[in-house]
Amino acid sequence: MKTCISEAEFEVMVAQTGLPLSAEQKRTLYDAYWMLEAMIARVNKPMPPAAEPAHIFIPEVR
Amino acid sequence: MDPILTIAEASRQIAAKQLSPVELTQACLDRVKRLDDTLHAFILPTQERAMADARAAEARIMAGLSRGPLDGIPIGHKDIYNTAGIRTTGHSRLLEHNVPEREATVVRKWAEAGTVMMGKLATHEFAMGGPSFDVPWPPPRNPWNPEHFTGGSSSGTGAAVASGMILGGTGSDTGGSIRGPAALCGIAGIKPTYGLVSRAGVLPLSFSLDHAGPLAWTVEDCALLLQAMAGHDPTDPASADRLVPDFTADLGKGVKGLRVGVVRHFFETDSPVSPATFAGISHSLEVFEHLGAEISEVKLSPLDDYHACGWLILTSEAYAIHEPWMKTRFNDYGELFRDRLALGGFIRATDYVQALRRRRELCLELKAAMAGLDILVSASQVAEAPRITEVPKWATLEKPSLTIPFNLTGYPAMSVCSGFGAGGLPVCVQLIAKPFAEPLLLTAAHSYETAVANRKRRPAIAMQEAA
Repeated sequence: MKTCISEAEFEVMVAQTGLPLSAEQKRTLYDAYWMLEAMIARVNKPMPPAAEPAHIFIPEVR
Repeated sequence: MDPILTIAEASRQIAAKQLSPVELTQACLDRVKRLDDTLHAFILPTQERAMADARAAEARIMAGLSRGPLDGIPIGHKDIYNTAGIRTTGHSRLLEHNVPEREATVVRKWAEAGTVMMGKLATHEFAMGGPSFDVPWPPPRNPWNPEHFTGGSSSGTGAAVASGMILGGTGSDTGGSIRGPAALCGIAGIKPTYGLVSRAGVLPLSFSLDHAGPLAWTVEDCALLLQAMAGHDPTDPASADRLVPDFTADLGKGVKGLRVGVVRHFFETDSPVSPATFAGISHSLEVFEHLGAEISEVKLSPLDDYHACGWLILTSEAYAIHEPWMKTRFNDYGELFRDRLALGGFIRATDYVQALRRRRELCLELKAAMAGLDILVSASQVAEAPRITEVPKWATLEKPSLTIPFNLTGYPAMSVCSGFGAGGLPVCVQLIAKPFAEPLLLTAAHSYETAVANRKRRPAIAMQEAA
């Protein structure tokens, strides 16, 4: 499988993280990024707008 | 004294004053001395502490003041459990010299139960990056074949228990880190219900997925260890405030009338398992049926759905914990940890929230599926342990995890040895129960383990050395 976003787009994402990655490290992560894309697509299937997350706020903080 | 005893056996002998905790501890220390240069299960053996604990236990027992079934039992702690005054590293260069002032709740509770602390056990770096060869300590080796992987991340605990260097130990399980090493090392390991065991003082990986639990040679030993771990802890925000049941009382009750569901698509099509693993699961169903349980099939969402949801949450939460060090000390981490975790920096907030929403759907799905069932059966690992040098960097991404669905949902789950594969390494089955139904889960697992009767077979390396 191949990563969908371009290397230029990936560069922007790396810059946003602030991680001090070498060129080799960027290449390694870019080559693996397709697996993350597949997972993100899988959790972004349509859901009812009112579908609540598993974490809800409980006012009685423990 | 038998070469390697279970906790239950040792406990009975100690109670009857047929076995001295000092002799038992010395036998374990001798095994550490003989085996650990090969197995690398320990990051820090604590011989002096162990002998002091053993002598104290012996004095109590001789004075009729036993603290119970764990008094005088040699154990170890995964090196993400804080131990006051004793180095706790997370198997990482970043904490190479870290000496906590306070100990984890579980460490304190096991000490109060009279256990003998043998030392700190190797893990994947911060319970995620392994098996790594570029961190200050080598990865543990599988006692059944030291060329092979132990599973992770409670790797040292798995290796040390299987080889008899300790009788039980602590693990943590965020995506399968108790059940994986238990499976690949041929022992038993239980990930309890989320909230049953305190996580306070355990280095966090993912707040909403981390579970603390025990590994031991048998299911009965896990029950004994869990008894001394469980209970409400106000210092853990996720800790459940409820009474702790007796985990050993019903172990011999059997499974007659129990309703057992098998999630066949998880291990047949979603993540196909090896012939030996498949045979073990099939045999477990025959055993349960023979013992009087009713078997039916269960269909859940694809394993990939559970895996994607769990992995995105795990990596997002872990990244949030490690981000300051990732920005300033990136190359002090081992390659596996830093590369696996770096992907977490690319997950958007909206994707994390979508994963949480999907998590709730999957929790509701599992609850509905188990409405008429007591136990689920599935696989825990796809096959026997691979060679340690052949574990891919992206192993946790390339194939869906068979264990993470029950971190995501918080349900209690357990690995039990089902036999051995073609390569002579163990294979296992995974059993799951409803939240806080650990007594039932342990009873089912104990019934199965007793029926398959494979607990007399230890790794050759341990038996050869002990002979």
